Amino acid sequence: MWRITVKGILAHKMRLALTAIAIILGVTFVSGTYILNDTLHSTFASIFSNVYQGFDFQVRGVAQLNDAGGAVRNPIPESLLPKIKKVPGVKYASGSVIGYAQFVSHKGKAISNSGAPTIGVSLALNSHISYLHVAEGRMPTTSNDVVMDAATAQKYHFKVGQQVRILLAGPPRTFTITGITRFGAATNLAGATLAGFNTPTAQSIFGETGLFNDIYVVAAPNANKAVVERSIDRILPRGVDVATRQTVVNEETTVIDQGLSFFSTVLLIFALISLFVGAFTILNTFSIIVSQRIRELALLRIVGASRRQVFSSVLLEAAILGLFSSLAGLGLGVLAAIGIEVLLRGFGISLPSGTPVIAARTIVVSIIGGMGVTVIAAIIPAHRATRISPVIAMGGQQSDSLLFHHRFIWGAFVSLLGMAALGLGLVLSTILFVGIGALSIFIGVAMLAPALSRPFANVIGSFLVRTLGVAGKLGHENSMRNPRRTAQTASALMVGLAVVSAVAVLGASMSGTATSSVDNAVTANLIVSSRTSSVASVGFSSAIPKAVSTIPGVVSTDMIYGGTPLTGQFRFRHTLETLESVSTHHLAGTVVLHIVAGTSQALSSGDLLISSSTSKSDHLSVGDKVPVKFALTGRSTMRIGGIYQPNSLIGSYLVSNSFYLHHYQNPLPTAVLLKTNGHPAVQQKIEHVLVPYPNVWVQTRTQFEKSQLAQIDKLLGLVYALLALAVLIALIGIANMLVLSVFERTHEIGLLRAVGMKRRQVRTMIRSESVILSMFGAIIGIIVGTGIGIALAYSLQSSGITDIVVPVPSMVAFLVISVLLGLVAASWPARRAAKLDVLAAIAAE
Amino acid sequence: MIGVFREIPRREIDLKPRLLALDNTIMNTFVSPEKPLNDISPTPAAHAVDLHKIYGTGQTAVNALANVTIAFEQSRFTAVMGPSGSGKSTLMHCMAGLDSPTSGKSFIGGIDISGLNDVELTQLRRDRVGFVFQSFNLVPTLTAAENLTLPLDLAGKKADKDWFDYLVGQIGIGDWLARHPSELSGGQQQRIACARALINRPDLVFADEPTGNLDSNTSTGVLSFLRMSVDELHQSIVMVTHDPRSAVYADRVVFLADGNVVGSLEHPTADSVLEQMRNLAS
Repeated sequence: MWRITVKGILAHKMRLALTAIAIILGVTFVSGTYILNDTLHSTFASIFSNVYQGFDFQVRGVAQLNDAGGAVRNPIPESLLPKIKKVPGVKYASGSVIGYAQFVSHKGKAISNSGAPTIGVSLALNSHISYLHVAEGRMPTTSNDVVMDAATAQKYHFKVGQQVRILLAGPPRTFTITGITRFGAATNLAGATLAGFNTPTAQSIFGETGLFNDIYVVAAPNANKAVVERSIDRILPRGVDVATRQTVVNEETTVIDQGLSFFSTVLLIFALISLFVGAFTILNTFSIIVSQRIRELALLRIVGASRRQVFSSVLLEAAILGLFSSLAGLGLGVLAAIGIEVLLRGFGISLPSGTPVIAARTIVVSIIGGMGVTVIAAIIPAHRATRISPVIAMGGQQSDSLLFHHRFIWGAFVSLLGMAALGLGLVLSTILFVGIGALSIFIGVAMLAPALSRPFANVIGSFLVRTLGVAGKLGHENSMRNPRRTAQTASALMVGLAVVSAVAVLGASMSGTATSSVDNAVTANLIVSSRTSSVASVGFSSAIPKAVSTIPGVVSTDMIYGGTPLTGQFRFRHTLETLESVSTHHLAGTVVLHIVAGTSQALSSGDLLISSSTSKSDHLSVGDKVPVKFALTGRSTMRIGGIYQPNSLIGSYLVSNSFYLHHYQNPLPTAVLLKTNGHPAVQQKIEHVLVPYPNVWVQTRTQFEKSQLAQIDKLLGLVYALLALAVLIALIGIANMLVLSVFERTHEIGLLRAVGMKRRQVRTMIRSESVILSMFGAIIGIIVGTGIGIALAYSLQSSGITDIVVPVPSMVAFLVISVLLGLVAASWPARRAAKLDVLAAIAAE
Repeated sequence: MIGVFREIPRREIDLKPRLLALDNTIMNTFVSPEKPLNDISPTPAAHAVDLHKIYGTGQTAVNALANVTIAFEQSRFTAVMGPSGSGKSTLMHCMAGLDSPTSGKSFIGGIDISGLNDVELTQLRRDRVGFVFQSFNLVPTLTAAENLTLPLDLAGKKADKDWFDYLVGQIGIGDWLARHPSELSGGQQQRIACARALINRPDLVFADEPTGNLDSNTSTGVLSFLRMSVDELHQSIVMVTHDPRSAVYADRVVFLADGNVVGSLEHPTADSVLEQMRNLAS
């Protein structure tokens, strides 16, 4: 049987080639993701072990609230340093501080690598301890000196001796570049820009006078390190601890890995979608191959092949195909890893590059994944092959067992089960259930599809007959000859488009919500915010609010804090949440809180305001006391002072600015809301004031909305690009099916040509078949995807998606694109069919 | 039909001296399993009792076989003849276990196959029955030699070298063993199919119109091989045919019409077969 299988594969090379492409692409995506992940991991790991070469121990604040984003540690007193230096066995010790510092380019642009941190640090004069190597120039010694990371220096043409302006938490300052730094071989740290100052300067500009973030310790060469560590630990006050170099490296690597694993998970989801779509193509190809080999298989049955042998031979064929495709996919994965990196860079996510790492896990997962999908998809055709009656070999007829009815019931059952799982997943917000639910719905609908395909094809078909005449009619009839095959082929496209449509609904809902959030929450007519990102996440100098509020024409100002990393953390009951704050003075003039219960006045008395979705999910009402914890100030109890309607701009937890500043370490404002007298000159004046701050801009409410939407569109663009592969695989499936059909109908096409069908008409016939297929798949996909998208958006209400929008123009565009791509997919099979030699075709059996 | 029949070359009959020596008497007796006509062995190679087969249901039901009771003796070459729709293929499919009868029993070498499941039937076919069909006898992706040993390969057995060489010698395809079916003529393909049917030394060979797609010259080669396997190897063969020229190679011809056995002819000649068919037609 082995021989028959292998020879069968060799004989059907061409037929299997397109199927192989479907698997190869999916596996490439999977292996590419893993390779990228592992390469980045090893790159970061080597950067960190390079960076942290110089010291033995790190003394730092105890981690307060741990989270995936890394622990927040409070600063430690400077006075610890002399004490540590006196500990026996300590050779060197040096304190360091870290904070916000952003370079301004020669052209006056704020430098930031697509959202990566812009870090300022203090540099120890002792080169044994410093984790930065000054590759060129010298260390910063005066308060005007700065060293710059090599990547920024190269990219923005800075040289030693030049002046550079740096944006800080306070007013911006100009420094002289005294040196260029490197991190071992790397020119920067994962895209982050780095400004190095001498320690007193850094302490003063980061507002940490008398404080250090860390103290780095080098032990004497002959000292017992464990003893030194214990001795240091003994003199440390509460809230401060000591860690070995290895612990620090592991911590940093873990933080990076957590970030990477998020990336990888997202990419793997898209890779799985591609593989899933590929599975339909495999199922279809094997079904067609089985039906084309029906007499051969019957012959094998007659001469003594058991059902089990037939079954295993089809599965073996699938396994071999899967193995070779997986190996090819694995090889291409290296290229894909580079491709994904380029793609992400195109969307503003830059990652350090290193030698591609192909881990054993990548190889195992790729091969098992590729083979698994192929073999599982081939089970149905293999089972069908065992049902072939041996009599067929003798020219007999298969007594047709119509399982149509059963399929319909099962399809409906599986779809309903999928919907239930999806619903459950959304309610419990368990991504696994959501995935299983969506997959079940796709499979269920694919099972229902054969029953739907006939009425559907009749509608499209009648149109094709009217416009394309007999060629259109034949194309329509061909598509209906085997409804199951049609449905399987269309199902692959259905899955692709369902995901695309679901994403479109989600994206449109996010855009709609963003617009309405701004409209509902902000009465200010001008908004000052960071250029690099949407409202939260990156802050700017706290000098800005003061500067703009004094401009004549500005009626009221409100400063918003929140979401800035590294300044603090907020734990609400048992989970870390993002806390936002507004100033209470001019609240009414700039921000509108749609209060459901309680009052916004409660903010000024230090109460917490929560959104109504939080109050619902946590069963909280006004007056309730809840346990909270802040990284900086520790445990506390807060009173719920008010409940407001959910708004994505404000978030779910709101306090006053004064409260926020007390519980966070030097936070930076993330937005300033301005109510003006409406005079256009006011905006110009503000722009003038903001000239020294190129990382910040002022926008009207409309401009602000637009920039918010642009962010969402950018994200959607990335998701569409990642989904394009799934759609491509579905189209390969259509092309594959058409090629196999043309092969199958060689005799018939020859006959049609012999009785006078023109080549052009043959092409039209194949193309109209493809149009029916792609329209069928696209329409079902769009309907199913819209449903899933609405369900997803609905479940995200608590996360702030309040408006559910179905983007009809996008859906129409998807349909049109699908049909056009269907025509593209048909072009090769159609040409092949039209080129058939009439006589040879008629002679074909 | 008559015209075709008259064109049988004399030479072919010369190839079968044993046949010529036999009595040409027409025997219109019905065959019953209790009274085997041939006394070489008491158990027939295959027999059927009250075999009934209905295709379809209700108004469209067709009686393909109406209570057929028949036996095929061991070491004999039996031809089954009858007009189209007479039920000869159905009889063969049911007796070979490829199709299940509506009622009645069929036996191969004394084993009741109506009670066997698919696995047992497959094993029976693989180990005890050989098949030759009208067309598509060979797996196109395998070479001639691989096709020949296919039943053994499926059973996971090794081919008996001497037996293989003997069969290859008999069908005269030694030079083309490495070729694929598409590179062989129809006659060559059919002879490989015949040799494959014998590779397992089966109890019984079913041949369904083995010469249906061949011209008269190549038909001769195939039929001679089948005849040889009965004469020299004591093989039992049942051949369905509608061609009187093929039927004369058999030891006995059974005639079917409308799902019934309507006649039997021992040691057929061209004339006697034709005569019988004429009677059936009238």
